[in-house]
Amino acid sequence: MTESRGTKRPSSDGKPGPLTSDLAARIKRAQVEADVPGDADIAATNRDMSGLSRGLRLGSEFIAAILVGAGLGYLLDLWLKTSPWLLLVMLLVGFAAGVLNVVRSTAEMNRAAPPPTDAMRVPDDAEDE
Amino acid sequence: MADPNKVDPIHQFQITDIVSFGDGGISFTNSALFMVLTVGLIAAYLILSTQKRALVPNRVQLVSEMLYEFVAKMVSDSAGKAGMKFFPFVFSLFMFVLVANMFGMIPFFFTVTSHIIITFALAMLVFAVVIIYGFWKNGFKFLKLFVPSGVPAYVLPIVVPIEFVSFLSRPISLSVRLFANILAGHITLKVFAGFIVTLGGLGFLGWLGALLPLIMTVAITALEFLVAALQAYVFAVLTSMYINDAIHPGH
Repeated sequence: MTESRGTKRPSSDGKPGPLTSDLAARIKRAQVEADVPGDADIAATNRDMSGLSRGLRLGSEFIAAILVGAGLGYLLDLWLKTSPWLLLVMLLVGFAAGVLNVVRSTAEMNRAAPPPTDAMRVPDDAEDE
Repeated sequence: MADPNKVDPIHQFQITDIVSFGDGGISFTNSALFMVLTVGLIAAYLILSTQKRALVPNRVQLVSEMLYEFVAKMVSDSAGKAGMKFFPFVFSLFMFVLVANMFGMIPFFFTVTSHIIITFALAMLVFAVVIIYGFWKNGFKFLKLFVPSGVPAYVLPIVVPIEFVSFLSRPISLSVRLFANILAGHITLKVFAGFIVTLGGLGFLGWLGALLPLIMTVAITALEFLVAALQAYVFAVLTSMYINDAIHPGH
Protein backbone atom coordinates (compact mmCIF):
# COMPACT_ATOMS: atom_id res chain seq x y z
CA MET A 1 0.00 0.00 0.00
CA THR A 2 2.77 2.37 0.91
CA GLU A 3 4.56 1.64 -2.27
CA SER A 4 1.63 2.49 -4.55
CA ARG A 5 1.08 5.73 -2.69
CA GLY A 6 4.73 6.58 -2.74
CA THR A 7 5.08 6.04 -6.47
CA LYS A 8 1.82 7.71 -7.39
CA ARG A 9 2.07 10.88 -5.42
CA PRO A 10 5.18 12.47 -6.93
CA SER A 11 3.92 11.85 -10.48
CA SER A 12 0.44 13.19 -9.74
CA ASP A 13 1.53 16.58 -8.51
CA GLY A 14 4.03 16.79 -11.27
CA LYS A 15 7.29 17.08 -9.37
CA PRO A 16 8.87 13.79 -8.56
CA GLY A 17 11.13 15.46 -6.04
CA PRO A 18 13.79 13.26 -4.59
CA LEU A 19 12.65 14.34 -1.14
CA THR A 20 9.13 12.90 -1.47
CA SER A 21 10.15 9.61 -3.00
CA ASP A 22 12.90 9.34 -0.46
CA LEU A 23 10.38 9.90 2.30
CA ALA A 24 8.12 7.18 0.94
CA ALA A 25 11.02 4.79 0.80
CA ARG A 26 12.00 5.71 4.32
CA ILE A 27 8.47 5.24 5.62
CA LYS A 28 8.32 1.87 3.97
CA ARG A 29 11.64 0.85 5.41
CA ALA A 30 10.58 2.03 8.87
CA GLN A 31 7.36 0.05 8.62
CA VAL A 32 9.19 -3.08 7.62
CA GLU A 33 11.65 -2.57 10.45
CA ALA A 34 8.92 -1.85 12.96
CA ASP A 35 7.02 -4.96 11.97
CA VAL A 36 9.71 -7.55 11.91
CA PRO A 37 11.60 -7.06 15.17
CA GLY A 38 8.37 -6.72 17.14
CA ASP A 39 7.07 -10.10 16.07
CA ALA A 40 10.46 -11.68 16.26
CA ASP A 41 10.90 -10.27 19.76
CA ILE A 42 7.72 -11.81 21.07
CA ALA A 43 8.42 -15.11 19.41
CA ALA A 44 11.95 -15.08 20.78
CA THR A 45 10.73 -14.36 24.31
CA ASN A 46 8.23 -17.16 24.03
CA ARG A 47 10.92 -19.55 22.93
CA ASP A 48 13.46 -18.35 25.46
CA MET A 49 11.11 -18.76 28.34
CA SER A 50 9.89 -22.10 27.08
CA GLY A 51 11.40 -24.16 29.86
CA LEU A 52 10.19 -22.44 33.00
CA SER A 53 7.16 -20.63 31.76
CA ARG A 54 5.71 -23.39 29.63
CA GLY A 55 6.23 -25.92 32.37
CA LEU A 56 4.59 -23.77 35.00
CA ARG A 57 1.76 -22.87 32.68
CA LEU A 58 0.97 -26.46 31.72
CA GLY A 59 1.39 -27.63 35.29
CA SER A 60 -0.95 -25.04 36.69
CA GLU A 61 -3.54 -25.71 34.00
CA PHE A 62 -3.45 -29.42 34.74
CA ILE A 63 -3.53 -29.19 38.53
CA ALA A 64 -6.17 -26.48 38.63
CA ALA A 65 -8.60 -28.64 36.68
CA ILE A 66 -8.05 -31.62 38.99
CA LEU A 67 -8.53 -29.46 42.08
CA VAL A 68 -11.70 -27.91 40.69
CA GLY A 69 -13.06 -31.31 39.70
CA ALA A 70 -12.35 -32.87 43.09
CA GLY A 71 -13.69 -29.83 44.93
CA LEU A 72 -16.87 -29.84 42.89
CA GLY A 73 -17.35 -33.55 43.54
CA TYR A 74 -16.78 -33.07 47.27
CA LEU A 75 -19.34 -30.28 47.46
CA LEU A 76 -21.88 -32.28 45.46
CA ASP A 77 -21.28 -35.21 47.81
CA LEU A 78 -21.92 -33.03 50.84
CA TRP A 79 -25.09 -31.76 49.25
CA LEU A 80 -26.49 -35.06 47.96
CA LYS A 81 -24.99 -37.20 50.76
CA THR A 82 -23.54 -39.67 48.26
CA SER A 83 -20.02 -39.65 49.65
CA PRO A 84 -17.59 -40.66 48.21
CA TRP A 85 -18.95 -41.54 44.78
CA LEU A 86 -19.30 -38.14 43.17
CA LEU A 87 -15.89 -37.13 44.48
CA LEU A 88 -14.38 -40.08 42.66
CA VAL A 89 -16.29 -39.44 39.45
CA MET A 90 -15.53 -35.72 39.45
CA LEU A 91 -11.88 -36.37 40.22
CA LEU A 92 -11.67 -38.35 37.00
CA VAL A 93 -13.62 -35.69 35.13
CA GLY A 94 -11.21 -33.11 36.52
CA PHE A 95 -8.33 -35.23 35.31
CA ALA A 96 -9.84 -35.33 31.83
CA ALA A 97 -10.43 -31.57 31.95
CA GLY A 98 -6.79 -31.12 32.96
CA VAL A 99 -5.64 -33.09 29.94
CA LEU A 100 -7.99 -31.02 27.78
CA ASN A 101 -6.53 -27.80 29.24
CA VAL A 102 -3.01 -28.97 28.55
CA VAL A 103 -3.84 -29.96 24.97
CA ARG A 104 -5.53 -26.61 24.38
CA SER A 105 -2.78 -24.48 25.81
CA THR A 106 -0.14 -26.43 23.95
CA ALA A 107 -2.04 -25.85 20.72
CA GLU A 108 -2.26 -22.16 21.62
CA MET A 109 1.44 -21.93 22.31
CA ASN A 110 2.27 -23.57 19.03
CA ARG A 111 -0.02 -21.17 17.23
CA ALA A 112 1.44 -18.18 19.06
CA ALA A 113 5.05 -19.17 18.40
CA PRO A 114 5.10 -21.47 15.41
CA PRO A 115 8.38 -23.13 14.60
CA PRO A 116 10.19 -20.57 12.45
CA THR A 117 10.08 -21.21 8.72
CA ASP A 118 13.76 -20.37 8.51
CA ALA A 119 14.52 -22.87 11.24
CA MET A 120 17.12 -24.56 9.09
CA ARG A 121 19.26 -21.45 9.14
CA VAL A 122 19.79 -21.85 12.87
CA PRO A 123 22.39 -24.51 13.66
CA ASP A 124 20.92 -27.31 15.70
CA ASP A 125 23.39 -26.95 18.53
CA ALA A 126 22.63 -23.29 19.01
CA GLU A 127 18.96 -23.99 19.60
CA ASP A 128 19.56 -26.87 21.95
CA GLU A 129 21.78 -24.88 24.24
CA MET B 1 16.53 -10.72 62.13
CA ALA B 2 19.08 -10.24 64.88
CA ASP B 3 21.10 -13.24 63.80
CA PRO B 4 22.61 -12.43 60.41
CA ASN B 5 23.27 -16.11 59.70
CA LYS B 6 19.64 -16.99 59.96
CA VAL B 7 17.97 -16.76 56.59
CA ASP B 8 14.24 -16.31 56.60
CA PRO B 9 13.05 -16.34 52.99
CA ILE B 10 9.38 -16.06 53.99
CA HIS B 11 9.77 -12.92 56.04
CA GLN B 12 9.50 -10.71 52.98
CA PHE B 13 5.90 -11.74 52.43
CA GLN B 14 4.64 -10.76 55.87
CA ILE B 15 1.78 -8.33 55.90
CA THR B 16 2.09 -5.67 58.54
CA ASP B 17 -0.31 -2.97 59.52
CA ILE B 18 0.75 0.58 58.90
CA VAL B 19 -2.39 2.27 60.11
CA SER B 20 -5.21 0.30 61.68
CA PHE B 21 -8.67 1.52 62.33
CA GLY B 22 -9.99 -0.15 65.43
CA ASP B 23 -9.10 -3.59 66.79
CA GLY B 24 -9.31 -6.37 64.25
CA GLY B 25 -10.99 -4.00 61.88
CA ILE B 26 -9.84 -2.57 58.60
CA SER B 27 -6.22 -1.58 58.47
CA PHE B 28 -3.95 -0.04 55.91
CA THR B 29 -1.23 -2.65 55.37
CA ASN B 30 2.04 -2.61 53.51
CA SER B 31 0.29 -4.60 50.77
CA ALA B 32 -2.32 -1.88 50.42
CA LEU B 33 0.39 0.75 50.43
CA PHE B 34 2.15 -0.88 47.51
CA MET B 35 -1.08 -1.32 45.62
CA VAL B 36 -1.70 2.39 46.01
CA LEU B 37 1.87 3.13 44.93
CA THR B 38 1.47 0.87 41.90
CA VAL B 39 -1.71 2.53 40.75
CA GLY B 40 -0.29 5.95 41.56
CA LEU B 41 2.85 5.36 39.54
CA ILE B 42 0.92 4.04 36.54
CA ALA B 43 -1.54 6.92 36.60
CA ALA B 44 1.12 9.54 37.13
CA TYR B 45 3.37 8.18 34.42
CA LEU B 46 0.69 7.77 31.81
CA ILE B 47 -0.93 11.12 32.51
CA LEU B 48 2.30 13.11 32.70
CA SER B 49 3.95 11.46 29.72
CA THR B 50 1.01 11.94 27.40
CA GLN B 51 0.15 15.42 28.58
CA LYS B 52 1.93 17.21 25.78
CA ARG B 53 0.35 15.03 23.09
CA ALA B 54 3.26 15.75 20.84
CA LEU B 55 2.90 14.54 17.27
CA VAL B 56 6.52 13.54 17.38
CA PRO B 57 6.76 11.92 20.79
CA ASN B 58 9.72 12.31 23.08
CA ARG B 59 11.11 9.25 24.83
CA VAL B 60 8.77 9.35 27.79
CA GLN B 61 5.69 9.63 25.62
CA LEU B 62 7.02 6.97 23.31
CA VAL B 63 7.11 4.43 26.11
CA SER B 64 3.46 5.12 26.90
CA GLU B 65 2.54 4.79 23.25
CA MET B 66 4.45 1.54 22.93
CA LEU B 67 2.68 0.12 25.96
CA TYR B 68 -0.63 1.14 24.46
CA GLU B 69 0.16 -0.36 21.08
CA PHE B 70 1.53 -3.54 22.60
CA VAL B 71 -1.63 -4.23 24.57
CA ALA B 72 -3.90 -3.04 21.74
CA LYS B 73 -2.23 -5.48 19.35
CA MET B 74 -2.49 -8.27 21.89
CA VAL B 75 -6.21 -7.66 22.46
CA SER B 76 -7.12 -7.30 18.79
CA ASP B 77 -5.05 -10.36 17.87
CA SER B 78 -6.78 -12.66 20.33
CA ALA B 79 -10.24 -11.13 20.70
CA GLY B 80 -10.71 -9.33 17.38
CA LYS B 81 -12.29 -5.93 16.81
CA ALA B 82 -15.18 -6.64 19.16
CA GLY B 83 -12.68 -7.30 21.90
CA MET B 84 -11.29 -3.78 21.74
CA LYS B 85 -14.24 -2.78 23.93
CA PHE B 86 -12.32 -4.46 26.71
CA PHE B 87 -9.03 -2.78 25.94
CA PRO B 88 -9.14 -0.47 29.00
CA PHE B 89 -9.81 -3.49 31.20
CA VAL B 90 -6.95 -5.57 29.81
CA PHE B 91 -4.61 -2.59 29.78
CA SER B 92 -5.34 -1.83 33.44
CA LEU B 93 -4.76 -5.45 34.42
CA PHE B 94 -1.56 -5.65 32.40
CA MET B 95 -0.15 -2.44 33.81
CA PHE B 96 -1.11 -3.30 37.37
CA VAL B 97 0.48 -6.74 37.26
CA LEU B 98 3.54 -5.49 35.41
CA VAL B 99 4.25 -2.58 37.73
CA ALA B 100 3.44 -4.58 40.86
CA ASN B 101 5.87 -7.30 39.72
CA MET B 102 8.53 -4.75 38.91
CA PHE B 103 8.06 -3.03 42.26
CA GLY B 104 8.65 -6.39 43.85
CA MET B 105 12.10 -6.53 42.27
CA ILE B 106 13.25 -3.44 44.17
CA PRO B 107 14.91 -4.43 47.46
CA PHE B 108 12.83 -3.90 50.62
CA PHE B 109 9.70 -3.41 48.57
CA PHE B 110 6.67 -5.57 49.14
CA THR B 111 5.52 -7.74 46.26
CA VAL B 112 1.77 -7.39 45.96
CA THR B 113 1.35 -10.23 43.48
CA SER B 114 3.08 -12.77 45.72
CA HIS B 115 -0.15 -13.20 47.68
CA ILE B 116 -2.68 -15.53 46.13
CA ILE B 117 -5.62 -13.53 47.40
CA ILE B 118 -4.56 -10.62 45.20
CA THR B 119 -4.03 -12.69 42.07
CA PHE B 120 -7.19 -14.67 42.76
CA ALA B 121 -9.17 -11.46 43.10
CA LEU B 122 -7.80 -10.29 39.75
CA ALA B 123 -8.62 -13.64 38.15
CA MET B 124 -12.14 -13.64 39.58
CA LEU B 125 -12.62 -10.16 38.18
CA VAL B 126 -11.72 -11.48 34.73
CA PHE B 127 -13.97 -14.48 35.25
CA ALA B 128 -16.91 -12.34 36.37
CA VAL B 129 -16.48 -10.04 33.38
CA VAL B 130 -16.41 -13.02 31.02
CA ILE B 131 -19.51 -14.64 32.51
CA ILE B 132 -21.58 -11.48 32.85
CA TYR B 133 -20.68 -10.12 29.44
CA GLY B 134 -21.09 -13.57 27.88
CA PHE B 135 -24.63 -13.97 29.16
CA TRP B 136 -25.51 -10.34 28.47
CA LYS B 137 -24.25 -10.49 24.91
CA ASN B 138 -25.22 -14.02 23.86
CA GLY B 139 -27.97 -14.94 26.27
CA PHE B 140 -28.24 -18.67 26.72
CA LYS B 141 -26.17 -19.22 23.61
CA PHE B 142 -23.23 -18.54 25.91
CA LEU B 143 -23.72 -22.08 27.23
CA LYS B 144 -22.60 -23.31 23.83
CA LEU B 145 -19.15 -22.73 25.29
CA PHE B 146 -19.58 -26.07 27.03
CA VAL B 147 -20.77 -27.88 23.90
CA PRO B 148 -17.99 -28.09 21.37
CA SER B 149 -19.25 -28.20 17.82
CA GLY B 150 -18.97 -31.39 15.84
CA VAL B 151 -19.30 -33.73 18.79
CA PRO B 152 -21.85 -36.55 18.44
CA ALA B 153 -24.77 -36.36 20.86
CA TYR B 154 -23.99 -39.56 22.72
CA VAL B 155 -20.60 -38.27 23.89
CA LEU B 156 -22.05 -35.02 25.21
CA PRO B 157 -22.85 -36.32 28.73
CA ILE B 158 -19.11 -36.91 29.15
CA VAL B 159 -17.82 -33.90 27.27
CA VAL B 160 -20.01 -31.26 28.88
CA PRO B 161 -18.89 -31.90 32.49
CA ILE B 162 -15.29 -31.96 31.30
CA GLU B 163 -15.70 -28.65 29.52
CA PHE B 164 -17.46 -27.24 32.56
CA VAL B 165 -14.66 -28.23 34.92
CA SER B 166 -12.13 -26.96 32.41
CA PHE B 167 -13.93 -23.61 32.36
CA LEU B 168 -14.08 -23.41 36.15
CA SER B 169 -10.39 -24.20 36.42
CA ARG B 170 -9.43 -21.08 34.48
CA PRO B 171 -9.47 -18.49 37.27
CA ILE B 172 -7.58 -20.91 39.49
CA SER B 173 -4.84 -21.64 37.00
CA LEU B 174 -4.66 -17.95 36.08
CA SER B 175 -4.18 -16.86 39.67
CA VAL B 176 -2.00 -19.75 40.78
CA ARG B 177 0.38 -19.26 37.87
CA LEU B 178 1.09 -15.61 38.59
CA PHE B 179 1.30 -16.06 42.36
CA ALA B 180 3.46 -19.20 42.17
CA ASN B 181 5.91 -17.69 39.70
CA ILE B 182 6.44 -14.58 41.77
CA LEU B 183 6.50 -16.36 45.12
CA ALA B 184 8.90 -19.08 43.98
CA GLY B 185 11.17 -16.56 42.29
CA HIS B 186 11.43 -14.33 45.33
CA ILE B 187 12.05 -17.24 47.68
CA THR B 188 14.78 -18.62 45.40
CA LEU B 189 16.40 -15.22 45.21
CA LYS B 190 16.36 -14.83 48.97
CA VAL B 191 17.70 -18.33 49.62
CA PHE B 192 20.62 -17.90 47.24
CA ALA B 193 21.38 -14.47 48.64
CA GLY B 194 21.26 -16.00 52.10
CA PHE B 195 23.92 -18.56 51.09
CA ILE B 196 26.32 -15.70 50.45
CA VAL B 197 25.96 -14.43 54.00
CA THR B 198 26.12 -17.87 55.54
CA LEU B 199 29.23 -18.88 53.58
CA GLY B 200 30.80 -15.52 54.28
CA GLY B 201 30.72 -16.32 57.95
CA LEU B 202 33.25 -19.11 57.41
CA GLY B 203 36.27 -16.89 56.80
CA PHE B 204 38.41 -16.58 53.69
CA LEU B 205 37.50 -19.92 52.10
CA GLY B 206 33.89 -19.11 52.78
CA TRP B 207 34.18 -15.86 50.87
CA LEU B 208 35.65 -17.75 47.93
CA GLY B 209 32.80 -20.22 48.05
CA ALA B 210 30.31 -17.39 48.36
CA LEU B 211 31.24 -16.28 44.86
CA LEU B 212 29.16 -19.10 43.41
CA PRO B 213 25.84 -18.12 45.01
CA LEU B 214 26.67 -14.50 44.26
CA ILE B 215 26.89 -15.22 40.53
CA MET B 216 23.75 -17.31 40.84
CA THR B 217 21.92 -14.46 42.56
CA VAL B 218 22.84 -12.05 39.81
CA ALA B 219 21.62 -14.50 37.19
CA ILE B 220 18.37 -15.19 39.05
CA THR B 221 17.74 -11.47 39.44
CA ALA B 222 17.89 -11.10 35.67
CA LEU B 223 15.62 -14.10 35.26
CA GLU B 224 13.18 -12.65 37.76
CA PHE B 225 12.90 -9.42 35.79
CA LEU B 226 12.07 -11.51 32.74
CA VAL B 227 9.51 -13.55 34.69
CA ALA B 228 7.94 -10.40 36.11
CA ALA B 229 7.37 -8.97 32.64
CA LEU B 230 6.40 -12.29 31.09
CA GLN B 231 3.82 -13.16 33.72
CA ALA B 232 2.14 -9.80 33.23
CA TYR B 233 2.07 -10.54 29.51
CA VAL B 234 0.70 -14.04 30.02
CA PHE B 235 -1.98 -12.76 32.38
CA ALA B 236 -3.09 -10.17 29.85
CA VAL B 237 -3.00 -12.58 26.89
CA LEU B 238 -5.09 -15.17 28.70
CA THR B 239 -7.51 -12.48 29.82
CA SER B 240 -8.07 -11.41 26.25
CA MET B 241 -8.47 -15.03 25.17
CA TYR B 242 -11.15 -15.61 27.80
CA ILE B 243 -12.85 -12.42 26.71
CA ASN B 244 -12.79 -13.78 23.18
CA ASP B 245 -14.68 -16.81 24.50
CA ALA B 246 -17.29 -14.50 25.98
CA ILE B 247 -17.73 -12.71 22.68
CA HIS B 248 -17.75 -15.77 20.45
CA PRO B 249 -18.82 -18.84 22.46
CA GLY B 250 -18.50 -22.22 20.77
CA HIS B 251 -15.11 -23.31 19.60
